[in-house]
Amino acid sequence: MPAAPLRPCNVKGEDGMSEGQQLMEALESRVERRSERREFFKAALGVAAVTAGGFAFTSQAAAQTVTDNDILNFALNLEYLEANFYYLAVYGTPIPLTSTTGTGTQGVLNAAGARAVTFADPIIAEFAREIAADELAHVNVLRQALGTAAVAQPAMDLSVAPTSAFSTAARAAFDIPTTASFDPYANDLNFLYGAYIFEDVGVTAYKGASPLITSKAYLDVAAGILSVEAHHAGLIRTQIDLRGDEPGLKGATVRADTELVSNARDSLDGTTSDLDQGIAQSNPPTGLTSNIVPTDGNGLAFSRTTGQVLNIVYLTPQQRSAGGFFPQGVNGTIVKAAGDAVPAAA
Amino acid sequence: MIDQETLDEVFAIAKRKREERRRFIKVASTAMIAAGGMSALAACNNNNDEDVTAPPVTPTPTPTSAFTAGDVDILNFALNLEYLEGSYYTAAALGASLNATLVSGTGTQGAVTGGRQVAFADRLVASYAREIAADENAHIGFLRQNLGSLAVAIPAINIDGGASGAFTAAARSSGVVPATGTFDPYANDDNFLLGAMLLSDVGVTAYKGSATLIASKTLLEAAAGILATESYHTGLIRSLLYRRGVPGTTIATAANDRQNAELISNARDTIDGNTTTAGPPAIFADDDQGVGPVTINGGTASNVVPTDSNGIVFGRTANQVLNIVYLNTNSRTAGSSGGGFFPSGLNGNIRASAATP
Repeated sequence: MPAAPLRPCNVKGEDGMSEGQQLMEALESRVERRSERREFFKAALGVAAVTAGGFAFTSQAAAQTVTDNDILNFALNLEYLEANFYYLAVYGTPIPLTSTTGTGTQGVLNAAGARAVTFADPIIAEFAREIAADELAHVNVLRQALGTAAVAQPAMDLSVAPTSAFSTAARAAFDIPTTASFDPYANDLNFLYGAYIFEDVGVTAYKGASPLITSKAYLDVAAGILSVEAHHAGLIRTQIDLRGDEPGLKGATVRADTELVSNARDSLDGTTSDLDQGIAQSNPPTGLTSNIVPTDGNGLAFSRTTGQVLNIVYLTPQQRSAGGFFPQGVNGTIVKAAGDAVPAAA
Repeated sequence: MIDQETLDEVFAIAKRKREERRRFIKVASTAMIAAGGMSALAACNNNNDEDVTAPPVTPTPTPTSAFTAGDVDILNFALNLEYLEGSYYTAAALGASLNATLVSGTGTQGAVTGGRQVAFADRLVASYAREIAADENAHIGFLRQNLGSLAVAIPAINIDGGASGAFTAAARSSGVVPATGTFDPYANDDNFLLGAMLLSDVGVTAYKGSATLIASKTLLEAAAGILATESYHTGLIRSLLYRRGVPGTTIATAANDRQNAELISNARDTIDGNTTTAGPPAIFADDDQGVGPVTINGGTASNVVPTDSNGIVFGRTANQVLNIVYLNTNSRTAGSSGGGFFPSGLNGNIRASAATP
């Protein structure tokens, strides 16, 4: 286990606000946004009719000079993060070093306090072991596809200190004190929460990138990984749901907690997007209904742009190039968060 | 069976999902207009946030499709599979059949044989069935909207739980029940989950297999969205089967769910007529797997996600999918254009399975 480097507390953003302050402001703005949504949709329909030249992703696609390799490397960064989290939780060690080399700066993994989870429920342990193997396989298949172009594993924070990325994320969702930590390795439920933070994001990232990939071979790989990540997400969300009536860390129930995490993610990834849902049930006349799958009204999972994904893993609503789980940023050419959640002038 | 009014309430199931559509309108209407003046999504352009009792879709037929002929064929192929899944889940969760506005189209409209509401013992399993039913109905609506007047009608479908039903045929061929036994997926929670696994894994592999064949980028992203949803469903169902396969765990006891899952998987391997094909990634002959347990790095692990050694979900060609849904046990020697869950075959141009995929 590498020594844990000190991580600066409350890094100031370009506007002088701390990351924590920015997160809180983003969360507050979300409430306002919801009330404005109806007006927004009316307006958006008008806009859609006159700007008929653009696909949802065309602004990104047209402006991009990114290659398939750039996109696969972006995905590889996310897989490094997921694979190491599950490896730490299952084995107490990071993924093998042979799977972490490549171009760019190979970073230090801050795993201070991370350890193998002492699972109370052996079934959860068996799920975790399966997912860890899948995620390492994804790292390796992407590295294989990229060959010498594969990026190295960047600096990552999977530690449990009060200033850790996990604690910062939990602070955004659950408003825990700045002196408190969120420890995803503490028990079964915390582990599931940690997994929950990542899995849905991976699904939206792969779906959002799917139309940008030009190579059929790469597309086939990406579709296959998308499906696996969605299987994982369905599994994790189902296991949380089975414990959904238990008291939450912040919310009244575990299910309410998932809505808080979902809201936090939504607040980071943009002012006009609602791309996230927790597992709160509904109870229409036809009977109690779960919400394992986060979908739109057409039954489709959501997409996120690369910039929106980076807003979440950097844990910042701003146009930053590093932060949160990637203290030095991701490696590769796609490194900048979108900053849709705050005005450019902010 | 419940009445139409009650059925419409199904679509109120997730009000939040309805709200999400407002956002989808912004994105999709732009895309669809750009893709060739499609008006199919006009039916969604309703700014009344209270319209929770309205069906999710009212197809507005368009005379032509913006998509290539090949894409239309793929969409219609997918629509047939969604008809099957939608019929199964709507029956099991609600004791209803698909809304009449969701089944018309080109080709011969067929009847749905069998299906009834499951008396779920576990309220959570019931809640999952309702959610999946809502998602599958939404997929049918979405595909029909995009196909417009080119959408195929629902073909004849057999989801009967009796001795002559397609589920029993599948269960007999896989050994889940003896050669003279009956498999009724509506009998209890576990049977429902096994029936769901039978259909859901096929849906995942079908969408995965078609990803590289779709010409339209707009359609590709939408298909990726359906693939993701189907994969969430499968992760849900298979993880429940794994958990319920152990006595004394949280929600139920069913000692042989895991074994049954393995049997179903083996049967599909046999009948999909698969041979190893060139990648990437390579499609292996053993492209179907039970839910475990397996051993990874010396420890016991589940196998909720059926993947190859690269951690990638398998894809199936259309022919392989057809062999499975037709329960085409003779697929290695003869093609087929109907049988099993689709007694008269699929509607549309992709309908005849081949002996050699």
